[in-house]
Amino acid sequence: MSVIKVGARCLQCPGPIVELHKASAKASPGDVIEIEATDPGFKKDVVAWCKKTKNELLKLDDFGDHIVAVIRKC
Amino acid sequence: MDAKPVFARPEDGVRRLVVIGGVAAGTKAAAKAKRENPDLEVTVLEKGEHISYAGCGLPYFVGGIIKEGKDLLVRSPQDFNKDYGIVVLTHHEAYKILTEEKVVLARDTESGQEKAFSYDRLIIATGAKPVVPPIPGIDLKNVFTLRKPVDALKMRSALEKAEAEQRKLKALVVGGGLIGLEVAENMALRGASVTVVEMLDQILPGFDLEIAKIVENHMRDKGVNVLTDEKVNSFEGDREGFVIKAYTTKRTLDVDLVLWATGVKPDVTLAKEAGIALGPTGAIEVDENFETNVKGIYAVGDCAQTRNLLTGNPAFYPLGSTANKMGRVAGTRAARQSFLGTAKERSPLYVLGTGVAKIFDMAVARTGLSEQDARKNSFDAETVLVPAHDRAHYYPGHKFIITKLVVDKPTQRLLGAQIVGEGVVDKPIDVIATALTFGGTVGDLAAIDLAYAPPFSMALSSTIVAANVMLNKLSGRMTGISPVDLKRRLDEEKGKPGGSASRPFMVDVRTEAEFLTGTVPGAVNIPLSDIRRLKDVVRGAASELDLPDEARKLLRLPRETELILICRIGQRAYLAALELKRLGFLNCKVLDGGVMSYSFGLE
Ligand SMILES: Cc1cc2nc3c(=O)[nH]c(=O)nc-3n(C[C@H](O)[C@H](O)[C@H](O)COP(=O)(O)OP(=O)(O)OC[C@H]3O[C@@H](n4cnc5c(N)ncnc54)[C@H](O)[C@@H]3O)c2cc1C
Repeated sequence: MSVIKVGARCLQCPGPIVELHKASAKASPGDVIEIEATDPGFKKDVVAWCKKTKNELLKLDDFGDHIVAVIRKC
Repeated sequence: MDAKPVFARPEDGVRRLVVIGGVAAGTKAAAKAKRENPDLEVTVLEKGEHISYAGCGLPYFVGGIIKEGKDLLVRSPQDFNKDYGIVVLTHHEAYKILTEEKVVLARDTESGQEKAFSYDRLIIATGAKPVVPPIPGIDLKNVFTLRKPVDALKMRSALEKAEAEQRKLKALVVGGGLIGLEVAENMALRGASVTVVEMLDQILPGFDLEIAKIVENHMRDKGVNVLTDEKVNSFEGDREGFVIKAYTTKRTLDVDLVLWATGVKPDVTLAKEAGIALGPTGAIEVDENFETNVKGIYAVGDCAQTRNLLTGNPAFYPLGSTANKMGRVAGTRAARQSFLGTAKERSPLYVLGTGVAKIFDMAVARTGLSEQDARKNSFDAETVLVPAHDRAHYYPGHKFIITKLVVDKPTQRLLGAQIVGEGVVDKPIDVIATALTFGGTVGDLAAIDLAYAPPFSMALSSTIVAANVMLNKLSGRMTGISPVDLKRRLDEEKGKPGGSASRPFMVDVRTEAEFLTGTVPGAVNIPLSDIRRLKDVVRGAASELDLPDEARKLLRLPRETELILICRIGQRAYLAALELKRLGFLNCKVLDGGVMSYSFGLE
């Protein structure tokens, strides 16, 4: 299992979710992806994406000016 | 005081002004009249305990954001006497206006004493009252309306009592207007479990359905239970007379506290009895100087009728912003025999109903006509829905807002706007209200020279982007379908057998990653990059086999098929429509505002 860090700060939507999708395609099951984004729409997107792709959302923190999501690839 | 000696003309003939009602419009009129004519004897009669309070602040007092009751009181009767030389009598209820004798009869409700007040000029500022139907249980304890500070105090103590007993209070708000929603938010933030019941099929009357739905969804996300198309019929109390149940057309709700907020009606009893004419809205009819049909008697604030600036029709917008402006003008006109003004003034009688409210993390604002209003008034209206950032996308803290513009197609004149989102909405709505006031067209709006730096706006501000999208639509570059129309179409198709010929083919042109975050039910995914490759296949420069299945299917469709193109905000769908038109698909429609504005549920 490895931890993959994805920096998606300052990427305008849909940047962050596309980056996450790419990272997840490369990752192996069990890997953890940590992604940081400033796009406010990312919060909703990541929840919906995890549900649809059946990946596990371990953590989702909104710091006001940026969002951090931690996902386990299933 | 700013009165100049030239204004003091005791021979003027206007010596006594009486004002009935002492909140926003009444006190504004009294103070302005006294400045205008310092020799004027001004008396304000107010039947309540307080004058000049901030009614608009009451929801925040209920919630505790405004801590002290005294913070709501802008000025006291003593202040008025000391600072302005105005006599303010609280607990004085005017019960009759004798228009021939020019006398107001009033009762001191504390001493029971009856008094007569002679006037040369009279200003009626009796405001509005909550509409309360006589349904069973409406008089139970803990069933409130919110209009005065004392109502807010009672509601707040009920909330505080529940907090002290560590009970989760079950609160019901009847009516999904701005006041109801503001209080719902404030009670939820205090930890109450809140249900809003609205009789109509949407909350936020005066807004269009898709905008109201966005706010409704946000309130649900925040834990407020919103029920539309449902009517509260009665309440039931416990042995001590406290409300415990509400019966609606669809269910029974357990409740500890109820706010009845289904709107207000103008308080015109006194005026009507005195033979003062009312308008079709039920409020007092006034001219541009706010004078009624009885000479020398003026009416201002929530009891008076305004006119819609765009239609000229009688209107009733009970708003504090309008009440203050009316009070000022009436104060000026009533203060003396002949009006002294030479400056070019415009009567605030003509209004747009501009308003704004904060609902949790969102703000929602409107000005002018909604799409529904425009159609009711027989305008040939075009609309756009345009999501955009409120600030530069690379500046931390930027948020999305959605702008809806309503325009008169033949003249391209702006008719109205609604803005909703987590970002700044008050600035753009005020920009658009200004443009509306000056009779602006969409082209004017697109060209306004607005301020820009990253912390404040985008280089092309959200308002200008929305105007540009409207120009694209009006010039025929783009055909759109509104979320409301699409939802209606899909519901209609639901009843029909599969493969119905009228069913539109919906294509989500975003990337696969975004498609997976949810789309309009029934849409297939063909990313814009694949749509761009279609022409190579048609030209024979690439093989059909290189295309994903859905794209191949699209290519085989008859060219007259109705295509609905969907993306996040509408921009990529527009690009896709341009590509597809070149391939012969002439019936392409872009979903206005994309999935961001589709508030009817994504899949
Ligand atoms: C909870 C709440 C939130 C609001 N939020 C907003 C907002 O955010 N923005 C906005 O623009 N507007 C808002 N409003 C509306 C705004 O408060 C009103 O438009 C404004 O108060 C109108 O002022 P008014 O002086 O015309 O009438 P009122 O405030 O109704 O005052 C009329 C006064 O006349 C007195 N009176 C009536 N009859 C008699 C009589 N016979 N003798 C003596 N006195 C009499 C009444 O006791 C009352 O005190 C809100 C209102 C409420 C209740």
